[in-house]
Amino acid sequence: MSGEPHYRFPPASAYRLNRCLFALKSDDGFRARFLKDARAAMSELGLDAEDAAALLGGDRDALLARGAHPYLVFMADLRLRMEREPVSFEFF
Amino acid sequence: MLVGAFACAHTPQLLARPGTEDRDLVLRVHAAFARVKQRLAALRADALAVIAGDHVEAFFLDAVPALAVYVGTECAGTFGRYRYRFPIHEPLARAIIEQGVERGFDLFYTQQAPLDYAFYVPLHFTMPEPAVPIVPLHVNVYLPPQPTPRRCYEWGRALGEIVRARPERVVLMASGGMSHFPGTDRYASPEFEYDRRLLDALQGGRGRELAAITGEELDKMGNIELRTWATLLGALGDAKADVYCYEPSWHHGNAVVEWPVAP
Repeated sequence: MSGEPHYRFPPASAYRLNRCLFALKSDDGFRARFLKDARAAMSELGLDAEDAAALLGGDRDALLARGAHPYLVFMADLRLRMEREPVSFEFF
Repeated sequence: MLVGAFACAHTPQLLARPGTEDRDLVLRVHAAFARVKQRLAALRADALAVIAGDHVEAFFLDAVPALAVYVGTECAGTFGRYRYRFPIHEPLARAIIEQGVERGFDLFYTQQAPLDYAFYVPLHFTMPEPAVPIVPLHVNVYLPPQPTPRRCYEWGRALGEIVRARPERVVLMASGGMSHFPGTDRYASPEFEYDRRLLDALQGGRGRELAAITGEELDKMGNIELRTWATLLGALGDAKADVYCYEPSWHHGNAVVEWPVAP
């Protein structure tokens, strides 16, 4: 990553992938559908097989290499964990 | 008129604390927020203009404004179990968008967009009672190319002039910072020494130095969100910062700061 900025211009080729991460982060309905049936939810947004595999595998490096925005990867993961393991959080 | 100015961290772990977050540290930041809340009540603010970097919540890649003003009647959002809604100070919001454009800033505006937790986290902890209407002011920090720190500073200078000429008692609050690298290999190693040097400069009244920092340097130092501070400092000039706390966690430099404003 040396020399490369941490937050790069999101390549247009990754629009659908970033749209899916955005929905996981911010759309309660989509996140619930994803938790129920991830493949069906991803096909709603037209993700291709490589994007879907990287997302299902939780493979951050692969997602970033495919143009995912690092912050969206981070927060989509945090929001999924907040749904899956709410008891492990203290809410103020 | 401008009656107060603050900068607050908005780390979501301050609101929803996972087991990996040091509880005592979180409570010390909460104590600093409580001081801000007391100050906001003492300042008898009529409106709170919050400058924050949208975390791809109000604006996705469909439209990416560099600088935006929210001019609705109210603004709402969600974060996990949190559901929040705030009235907007519409006359102030309109004055900011109209006079900002008049001064040569090609601002974006919206009357309906979700409110990001970058706005909500500080408001959750610092909103006085009774609640004060807000004006959300967006700065693009996460989607390159972002506005330069110098441009943010210039916008802040215009914003300060607009606010000072208003009849309401206005508090400005910048949300964000300091060093952190969410979603990258650097997540567990922020640039805390950089933060401390910057806070020294701000305590010494050298806020204008933020305008000279490049976007490249902010990215390298995990401080892309300091564009919101640069905007605030444009409004304040060289006021000296009173640092309520600087609490570096394993992934984030949490700062809460006030700049006393001369009456």
